[in-house]
Amino acid sequence: MPSTTPATDAAGAAAPHTADASAPPRGEASAAGRTAERPPLRRPRDCAVSGVSAGLARHLGRPVWLVRAAFVALTLVGLGGALLYAWLWVFVPWEEPSRDAPGAREAEGARVSDEPSRSAPVAWILTGASAAAVLLTVAGIVLFGANGVVWSSLPVWVGGVVASTGLAVSAGAWATLVDRRDPARGPRHENVVRLVVTAALVVLLLAQLSALRQTGVAGFLFALVPIAGIVLVYSSILVDRWRELTGERIRRIREEQRAEMAAHLHDSVLQTLALIQNRAGASSEVARLARAQERELRAWLYDGDAPADSDLATDLRDYAAALELDYPVRIDVVSAGLPAERASGEVAAASREAMLNAARHAGGDVSVYIEGNASAVDVYVRDRGPGFDLEDIPDDRLGIRQSILGRMRRAGGTATVRRGAGGGTEVHLRFAATPASPPPPSAGARAATADTTREGRRG
Amino acid sequence: MAETVVRVVIVDDHSIFRSGLRADLDPSIEVVGEAADAASAVAVIEATAPDVVLLDVHLPAASGATSGPDAAGGEAVIRGASPAVPATRFLALSVSDAAEDVVRVIRAGARGYITKGSSGAEVSRAVHAVADGDAVFSPRLAGFVLDAFGAAVGETATTSDELDRLSSREQEVMRLIARGYAYKEVAAELFISMKTVESHVSAVLRKLQLSSRYELTAWASARRLL
Repeated sequence: MPSTTPATDAAGAAAPHTADASAPPRGEASAAGRTAERPPLRRPRDCAVSGVSAGLARHLGRPVWLVRAAFVALTLVGLGGALLYAWLWVFVPWEEPSRDAPGAREAEGARVSDEPSRSAPVAWILTGASAAAVLLTVAGIVLFGANGVVWSSLPVWVGGVVASTGLAVSAGAWATLVDRRDPARGPRHENVVRLVVTAALVVLLLAQLSALRQTGVAGFLFALVPIAGIVLVYSSILVDRWRELTGERIRRIREEQRAEMAAHLHDSVLQTLALIQNRAGASSEVARLARAQERELRAWLYDGDAPADSDLATDLRDYAAALELDYPVRIDVVSAGLPAERASGEVAAASREAMLNAARHAGGDVSVYIEGNASAVDVYVRDRGPGFDLEDIPDDRLGIRQSILGRMRRAGGTATVRRGAGGGTEVHLRFAATPASPPPPSAGARAATADTTREGRRG
Repeated sequence: MAETVVRVVIVDDHSIFRSGLRADLDPSIEVVGEAADAASAVAVIEATAPDVVLLDVHLPAASGATSGPDAAGGEAVIRGASPAVPATRFLALSVSDAAEDVVRVIRAGARGYITKGSSGAEVSRAVHAVADGDAVFSPRLAGFVLDAFGAAVGETATTSDELDRLSSREQEVMRLIARGYAYKEVAAELFISMKTVESHVSAVLRKLQLSSRYELTAWASARRLL
């Protein structure tokens, strides 16, 4: 094999020289390390204007000012820098939004914080430039118009009018299309920029109109330029509206598709899952899986995007679903009334413990019934297991004694454990906001406060 | 079960489910007919005059129509068939459909409602109960009744002919059913006879069918029964 010989030769030649030939390999390694460490070419989301310079500087490992200077210098050479800048702007992607950046945490919604934030007031710079151009042009019109020098100097005005109109339009467009999404600026900023720019264009227009007698038809046609500019400044609103409208339509279509899919899944998959459950026997592995899947699917189908409010019933339902996965048990959670009890409270903790006990020691069918109103909540957890007597439980078993009975007693509620009719165990937890036999006036007052807290939670 | 054979018609638009249910049912239950949509269901029921109809809550009006907002549902079957066969009783069967559908079916005249997740033995038991003229309440339906009739906030009927509230005894029975007690256990718990429990449940069913309580539909559509 002739092809392998050079490689082995090289290895053989390198081997004796390792001691003194260490410099070149080390240099190679460090070079390789640098390319590996080099950050990808991405535009940072916290940037001055577009993030091109900062991203490029980070990628090349050079200071930002140097990159900016290079762009300016290249621009002087036949606009090369500007073209390169624009090219990079279009093709270099934003970096991934970081969820835990301080800016993201401060921002209200996650969607807003995803938008890049630009520190340079580009819209204001453009506005200022436009205003300056307007001033120069108006000065020109006033001076030359007054002196009767009209036709020959029109090209100068052309330049001035076109430049100021162009700058004004780009300021408006930037404010609408770019700054509006910026968490640091927003719609108010956009409106102010647009007003200032319009004012400048109106001044320009008035100056042109006042000089109309001297400039004649050409001047009249020329007055259309700032008018078109004003129209363009406001047309960017339309572009934005249109964007919004498209987004809205896409969302609606998606919602419709989802509803259609839900109807279909309901008629096919849910039916099949139900069938699997009753053919496989209530507490078999297959039935449990099917039931868990059914629950999950139904939650997805019907709860939609609305976040489940964490009331007691919802919380216990979720917990039941989790238990069904871990234990051979089928838990039916039924609720009536609107318990004022919060999901994080002691009653919820004790109920969960009771459900866990039932799942672990009894299995089979477990019924959970929650009934509550503003002043009291009752939770019944019933299983059909072998049952037990409270006296028979050794003192070191903390589940029942501490987590259920003790917890409820400390919270000011009651808990009773008893044998249900027809076997099994039933745990009854009761928590009343009002004491069992209160003096009438205080009971009324307390019920009223309970009502107001509920109102507050809803609002 | 040493009861007489109950003749049953299964109405469900899923053939897999129909055959599954058929295989699971007790030998004391004879399936005399099947139907997949509301129109053919009425025809089959009128032709066979069964004791009990197991009725899916969601049904297409006629074969070919997809079940959707325009689906006629089990309600149409009950209204269409019951004048011709007054002795036939209906038992609603549902895979956890929206509460308003269940309530509508019950108000149309179904004698009870069970979920499709129930085992063959449970369905058979329910069929026998309905055939004997009893009402079948699942824990969920009992919870719904307690909620919809304001029992949870302490509304109690004072006279026996009041339709919009439950008597305290009816509330007790409903609560025990919601807690997962079988009728027999309810009877033992309250020291009353099975017949009394059944008459209470039937009374509640009648109220559910006749009551004009606005919460019944409002509640059902605002929250999902299942």
